[in-house]
Amino acid sequence: MSVEILLGIDLGSTTTKAIALDQTGRILGRGITNTRSNYEVASQIVREEALVQSRFELVRHAMAADPELSGIENRFIGSLVRNFRQQQHLEQLEFLELTLHHCADAPRYAPTRETVKEMLNRICDAMRLRVPSHFSELAVRKSDFFRDLAAADYMQFAEQFSDSKHASFDALCGLFDAAILEVENAAGDGAFERHAGPALERTLATAPADFRAQEARLRSAVESVRSLELRVLGTVGTGYGRQRLPFPKEQIRSEILCHGLGAHAMFAGTRTVLDIGGQDTKAIQVDGTGIVTSFQMNDRCAAGCGRYLGYIADELNLGLHELGRLAQESTCSVKINSTCTVFAGAELRDRLSLGQKRPDILAGLHRAIMLRAMSLLARSGGISDEFTFTGGVARNPAAVSALQGLVHQNYGARTLNISPESIYTGALGAALFALRAADGRNAA
Amino acid sequence: MKSKAEDSILAAGVDVGSSAVKFALVRVAEYGPESVLALHNERIRRRELRKVIREGYDATLQEAGVRQNEIAYTASTGEGELVDFRCGHFYGMTTHARGAVFLMPGIGAVIDIGALHARAMRVDERSRVLSYRMTSQCASGSGQFLENVARYLGIMLEDVGPLSCEAKNPEPVSSICAVLAETDVINMVSRGISRSDILKGIHLSMAGRYTKLLRSIDACSDVAITGGLAADIGLYRALGEKIAEEKLTMRVRTHPHSIYAGAIGAALWGAYRHRVLARTEVVA
Repeated sequence: MSVEILLGIDLGSTTTKAIALDQTGRILGRGITNTRSNYEVASQIVREEALVQSRFELVRHAMAADPELSGIENRFIGSLVRNFRQQQHLEQLEFLELTLHHCADAPRYAPTRETVKEMLNRICDAMRLRVPSHFSELAVRKSDFFRDLAAADYMQFAEQFSDSKHASFDALCGLFDAAILEVENAAGDGAFERHAGPALERTLATAPADFRAQEARLRSAVESVRSLELRVLGTVGTGYGRQRLPFPKEQIRSEILCHGLGAHAMFAGTRTVLDIGGQDTKAIQVDGTGIVTSFQMNDRCAAGCGRYLGYIADELNLGLHELGRLAQESTCSVKINSTCTVFAGAELRDRLSLGQKRPDILAGLHRAIMLRAMSLLARSGGISDEFTFTGGVARNPAAVSALQGLVHQNYGARTLNISPESIYTGALGAALFALRAADGRNAA
Repeated sequence: MKSKAEDSILAAGVDVGSSAVKFALVRVAEYGPESVLALHNERIRRRELRKVIREGYDATLQEAGVRQNEIAYTASTGEGELVDFRCGHFYGMTTHARGAVFLMPGIGAVIDIGALHARAMRVDERSRVLSYRMTSQCASGSGQFLENVARYLGIMLEDVGPLSCEAKNPEPVSSICAVLAETDVINMVSRGISRSDILKGIHLSMAGRYTKLLRSIDACSDVAITGGLAADIGLYRALGEKIAEEKLTMRVRTHPHSIYAGAIGAALWGAYRHRVLARTEVVA
């Protein structure tokens, strides 16, 4: 048995995304990871991730089709996915620990190596203990990426355990920075085969009675999908790093085209698209078929891009997820004086040390990024109805409400479309191009 | 021995930068030499600044075996508002000038390269600032930028300089924005360019900017590098190369304690102010 799949990969500067479609154009799976220096690894990871998610989706389809199982599929898959993620995380943590020890073998640590290594063990043990809490049903994770979760935990324990004589906080940070690079640039595959089994056992072991009553059927649903072959018929790449994707040229499309088409596929009435990605902001006008008629991109400056908020989140040791929520608690937005991202970061620190509230400063920073987007939109031809906002920043509630306020002020009432999956817009457009190419081949 | 201790005083300087806090403890004799007793550098790395300052200060005193009540004057410089136990504050430019002249007598100009700003100033032999120029409100080519790049490359900050010196084909840095240049670095790594060549390319682009800054104040003598980046041998060499390339009559100098110039300068000015205050009190 096999299922045919079309893939779109959007290699952005901050995150790399993938979308897997079946032959009817239905979305089966999505994958996302943080972009790292090895683009090939990044695209391999999201590809793998999208295929893993496709398998979960196929399990869901199989369950929904089975009258005995339909109705419990969402809860079951939810639990299965959480257990799967936890297994995956633990595996990476183990690799990180090995790599940290390997890095600590460098000559510079020789005088205090014993202490440093002992410290690493303590930190990693503490990190391991915390893993289940990241993946519990009600957990609010700072980020979905191993890098961010591991970094936050590591830094916390490192600060707690470090002593300035033998294993300073600075040295421990340096070790982490070196090790995480190595961990991230190693691609693992076959994740579904490796982790689906243990995840299934854990899910069943902790399952409520109604799951256990169906144990045999659940097992066979998972098993049947596990043995399924996923045949990738075509892949199209886009995004900032597209020139370096390991694909032939004809499988590469510009990000403007992909975003136009992706936004059109999500909301057919779209005429203006604002995409705020990691390192560029695009204002795009499209016609009724999703074809781009004009566009503007920001200049070579991070202020006004997603990286701006990413940088601020790093400054505050927060995940990108948390930034917008925190800004929404603001009662009195602050006006930010700096334009430059790095200076805005310093201004943030200054304001914090002077006792200003985090939410108020963050609200000001969100407004600042949207003011830059508004001027780009104006240059591309304004905002026509309907207006679709895409890219990673569209997931940020504070950014969205700042945008809504500014749009209303400048253009009056406009329908604003935002898909919860808007970060995948480019990847979706790319996957649709892949589907078109495959259909074209079939027709010929 | 005892009398010497009596007519000399101890002063401390705390230089709060945006990425590290530098501490200096000096002894200043009434009509005699000034000497540095202890130096300490504490990188902030997103910790609570007030705590970093307190702990670094205590560590500095401990290193010299001195108690806080023996310090006649504690001076802050840089972003010193959080040094709540200070006696007074001195503006960054005057402290860097003072510290640089103390460490490298004979200089005629100072370039202070910190995490966010770079400042070039012409000074006289008594460390008075004659003219100065700063970089603009954009972090292109700042120390913070270099620190971020190092972190991305998985390199300890102190290895940046030596690695840069090993470069064979420095890679020109195309992007101007500090944050987007980081992405360029990711791109360079993925193109297989060595870390040495990347770092040297960045150093050269920074050096180009600083050379321009120095020209704008008509520096034409020995130039001292101070600030957080003074310890970066790669930047020092790149600056020398740029100056040679433009056939300027400057000579760049650095000192093992250059990064502490601000803290040392603050401590020395603090001791001076303490003496002046003590004298006026006696007169009154």
